[in-house]
Amino acid sequence: MPLGLRCRWLVRSGTMGGMTSNPAFEIDGVQWRPISLRLIPVRQISASIFLGGPALVTIWPAVVVGGWMWLLPVGLLLVTAWVLWLIPRQVRAVGYAELADDLLIRKGVMFRSMAVVPYGRMQYVDVQAGPIARRMKIAQVQLHTASAGSDASIPGLGEDEAARLRDQLTARGEARLAGL
Amino acid sequence: MTAPSIPNAAAAQPPVDWRRLHKITPLLNAWKVAVVLIGVFVWQYADTIGELDLAAGTILLIVVGAVVGGSLIGLGYSALAWRMTRYGIGADSVFLHSGVLFRQQRHVRLDRLQTIDVSQPLLARLFGFAQLKIESAGGAGSNLTLAYLSETDAQNLRNELLARAAGVTVATAADGAPPVLTPAAPEREVLALTPGRLVGSLALSFVMILILIGVVALVVAAVGTHSFAPILGVGPAGLGAVAYFWGRFSGEFAFRVATSPDGIRVRQGLLESKARTIPPGRVQAIKISQPLLWRLKGWWRVQVNIAGYGAEETTGSVLYPAGTAEEVARVLYLVLPDLGDNRPLELLATGMTGTGEDEGFVTSPRRSRWLDWITWRRNGFRVTDTAILLRSGRIWRHFVLVPHERTQSLGLTQGPIERRLDLVNFELHSTPGQIIPSIQHLDAAVARELLVEQADRARRARRLAGPEHWMRARTAPGAGSTTGAQTTPGTFGGILPSPSPDQHFAPGPASAGSVREVHVSPADAGKVSG
Repeated sequence: MPLGLRCRWLVRSGTMGGMTSNPAFEIDGVQWRPISLRLIPVRQISASIFLGGPALVTIWPAVVVGGWMWLLPVGLLLVTAWVLWLIPRQVRAVGYAELADDLLIRKGVMFRSMAVVPYGRMQYVDVQAGPIARRMKIAQVQLHTASAGSDASIPGLGEDEAARLRDQLTARGEARLAGL
Repeated sequence: MTAPSIPNAAAAQPPVDWRRLHKITPLLNAWKVAVVLIGVFVWQYADTIGELDLAAGTILLIVVGAVVGGSLIGLGYSALAWRMTRYGIGADSVFLHSGVLFRQQRHVRLDRLQTIDVSQPLLARLFGFAQLKIESAGGAGSNLTLAYLSETDAQNLRNELLARAAGVTVATAADGAPPVLTPAAPEREVLALTPGRLVGSLALSFVMILILIGVVALVVAAVGTHSFAPILGVGPAGLGAVAYFWGRFSGEFAFRVATSPDGIRVRQGLLESKARTIPPGRVQAIKISQPLLWRLKGWWRVQVNIAGYGAEETTGSVLYPAGTAEEVARVLYLVLPDLGDNRPLELLATGMTGTGEDEGFVTSPRRSRWLDWITWRRNGFRVTDTAILLRSGRIWRHFVLVPHERTQSLGLTQGPIERRLDLVNFELHSTPGQIIPSIQHLDAAVARELLVEQADRARRARRLAGPEHWMRARTAPGAGSTTGAQTTPGTFGGILPSPSPDQHFAPGPASAGSVREVHVSPADAGKVSG
């Protein structure tokens, strides 16, 4: 592998949590807006429940049986710790931008993705929030097009921003509505 | 038939012409209910009856009783369902009111119509009846099915609906007068699949290779173990393979593609016959593919994505099961008359079989050979004035075409290894179907530029795309043409003389004024309300 490539890779995947770090996912003149950092505790809490919970439960047979049974809780706890460490980076990696005709969304740290969704292609908008997210006053806005492939969801928007974005998207969608 | 008892029918629209399904419907449906009932009966009580130690005559009596009872219940239910069902044709919508306990009112706007299928299951076909299925874009299950109508009624209704959807004004009968029939749009057959080709395509299919390998393995196992146990063990799998081949064979038997002003007409089926009509502009993506062994014969399969069919639909997505390169070009001409390039045939050939940068294809960079050992020179895309062409697969060749105005949204993805190599995957999001247009491992800068430019191209193409009423679009100057208008239309038809079907088809008087209507109202986005 060429040395230059490796150096660029090291720089890109360095300390930046995803934002502004990868030229492939940068578009000239686009100002990416970050999402609310309150999504970090929301995701960490649910990860703790769904991963940490089973880890704690499996400690009991490990204590009783001992030996290799400890692999299960220890493994689960390690995964939990890794996920808890990953979540802040993932949340910081999410960005969106409202252009004149399209909504841009990008996300991902290890597996990156970027989507361009034209307002005119929008069929409907969903705003949803789970119990923990509601307490933190954040919500997820999701655009649906006629394609199942377009994953156009923006998690972790403040409630006001989510409502504003929803109305904005609906208005722009109506103005530019196209058929199929 | 008038139905004054339907509430709100008059208030919703100008007069809706309410009709009933054919009287035979309960009979054709009854046997399904009967079969289910008898099945349940046998399943539940077969053991009990056997244990009761009855005379053969009594058992026969019980069975006959169950059959007759099941049939009567089925008939009664079907008759009730038939009485509760009526459909109506409005100025620009189709209505269907149905349901015995839970009433359902379905309403499909004709300008949102995606395809119309007239199909005849075996029993209905024997007695000369047919069902009509209207697909709208609401995904799987959003269709409106009228079952059953007499064969002529179904065809007349299809003609009328297509004419209305096309924007041709249909004459309506005055009160009491016999109904005015809309003439069928003239059809011209383009291609027909011979039974020999169908059998050959199945014999050389990928599944056949698997089966041959399986059979060889079984024979070896049987000889090795000196028993038939291995062969008996795979009985269910063998049945599955037979069912697959039978499904392909009977579904694709007598496959014919014709063209008419209403769109593309596809007929197929051995026992159950189907006639699909795909109006212009309803095809979202096209895939031309070739399994390995088909290379011996030079056959290709053409599939399309149509909104409303959904990803589960396999037979409906086939536009031509097995055609030569020349036949593929003729079928493609029906769907995408202008490839947007002045060397369309060379472009098509390069897309189907070529590698490298010929005809302006952009391939994966050399460094992607770490991931794509043999396909990196084949992986590639080409953008023309009208469509984006995606080429992939060295062993199983694929070539996907997406018209610019049919792009829903676009995406880029990148995994950790691809990031190291500075490669990005590019995706076009089409409506759910058999085709998922994407191209793997492009140079990151190239992919990003493609994303930005394609978003712009798609937007411009949408703005110029014709209205949903396709016949109106044709008479309106400038409408319906895309950015490819500069390239001579019909150059692609070097194979096929460009017909002007409009000449044969006499539109109703009102369309002579050539009013161009652009139907954009946000309320339409839902399409189906029911």
